[in-house]
Amino acid sequence: MLSTRVLSRGLLRSARPRSTAFFTPRRMITTESIPASDASSILAAQRLLRPVSPHLSIYQAQLTWYMSMTTRITGVALSGVFYLYAIGYVLASPFGVDMSVANVSKKWGELNGAIKTAVKAPLAACFGYHFWNGVRHLVWDTGRELTVRGVYRTGYGVLGLTALSTLGLLVI
Amino acid sequence: MASTLRSSAAARRIFAAAKPTTSAIRLLPQTRVAAFHASQRNQILPPGPQVVHGTVNDPVPVPTPSASHGSYHWAFERIIALGMIPLTVAPFAAGTANPALDAALGTALVLHSHIGFDACVTDYFPKRQYAKTRALMVWLLRASTITAAVGLFSIQTNDVGLTEAIKRFWRA
Repeated sequence: MLSTRVLSRGLLRSARPRSTAFFTPRRMITTESIPASDASSILAAQRLLRPVSPHLSIYQAQLTWYMSMTTRITGVALSGVFYLYAIGYVLASPFGVDMSVANVSKKWGELNGAIKTAVKAPLAACFGYHFWNGVRHLVWDTGRELTVRGVYRTGYGVLGLTALSTLGLLVI
Repeated sequence: MASTLRSSAAARRIFAAAKPTTSAIRLLPQTRVAAFHASQRNQILPPGPQVVHGTVNDPVPVPTPSASHGSYHWAFERIIALGMIPLTVAPFAAGTANPALDAALGTALVLHSHIGFDACVTDYFPKRQYAKTRALMVWLLRASTITAAVGLFSIQTNDVGLTEAIKRFWRA
C-alpha cells in the first residue's frame, strides 16, 4: 500500500526522460543500511504480532485428539499424585512430619465420605482411562486398528471400559 | 527483510501500525498488517520469544539419526508399558501384595512416569525458544524422579510397600 505507492511514484520519475544534465530529480526514497542482526530483530518483532497458532479452539472437537490429549492429562495427574507423595515422603520426614502410609491413610480416612469420593472418582477415572487407552496404544503399536474406523471403534471401547472400571474401582 | 523494507524505522512503523494508534493527525495512509490475517488474534498464551537462528532461507537442519533417541527409546517405552499391564492387574487378581511384584511395579512406574513427564518437558519447553527454562525443567524432573524413587524405595523397604499403600489409601 504505502510502499507500493512510493515505489510506483519512484518508477514514474525514473522513467521520465532527462532533458538537462543540471536537473537531478529529487529522490523520495532514502536508504539506510541495516545490519543482519537488525533484520532478525525486525523479523522477531513482526512475528510477535502474528496470530498465535495453533489455537485449540479453532479445531473441531473430535474423539481422536480429545482422547490423545486426555491420555497425557490423566497420566500427568496420576504420576503427579504419586510423585508428590513419594517426594513428600522423603522431604517432609526430616521436619518431623509423619508421612508414613499408616498415619497419612488414617488422616485421609477420617475425612468426610463425600470428599473422599470426590477425590477417588476422578482418580479412578484417570487410572481406568490411562490404562485402557494405553492398551489401545499398544494395539496400534503392533499396526492393528490403525484406520479411521479402528481408531473410533477402539476409542468408544476405551470410553466404555473406563466407565465400567471407574465404577468397579469405586465399589471395591 | 532488508531488501523489501527500506529502513528499519519504516519497518517498525509499519509493524507497529497493527496496534491501534491514538494520534489525531495521520499524514500517511495507515497500513494494517492485521488486515492480511483472516483469523482473529485469539490465543491461550502470549507468543513466546521469537528466536531466529541464521537467515529465514536456511534449510531445516536434519538431525543426525540416533537409535538411542529413536527406535531404542521407542522400544524401551513400549516394553515398560507392556510390562505394566500384568504388573498392575496382578495385585487385583491375587488380592495380596508381593514384595517382588511391588519392586517390579514400582521400578516400572518410576521409569514410565519419568518418560511421560520428559515428553511433556520436550513438548512444552522447546529448546530453541526456552533454552534456559528447558534446562531447568530437565534437571528439576531428574531431581524429582530420583527423590520420588528414594521415597518409593523407603515405602517398599521400611513401610508397607506400594500395593499395600494404595490399598490402604483406597479403602481408608
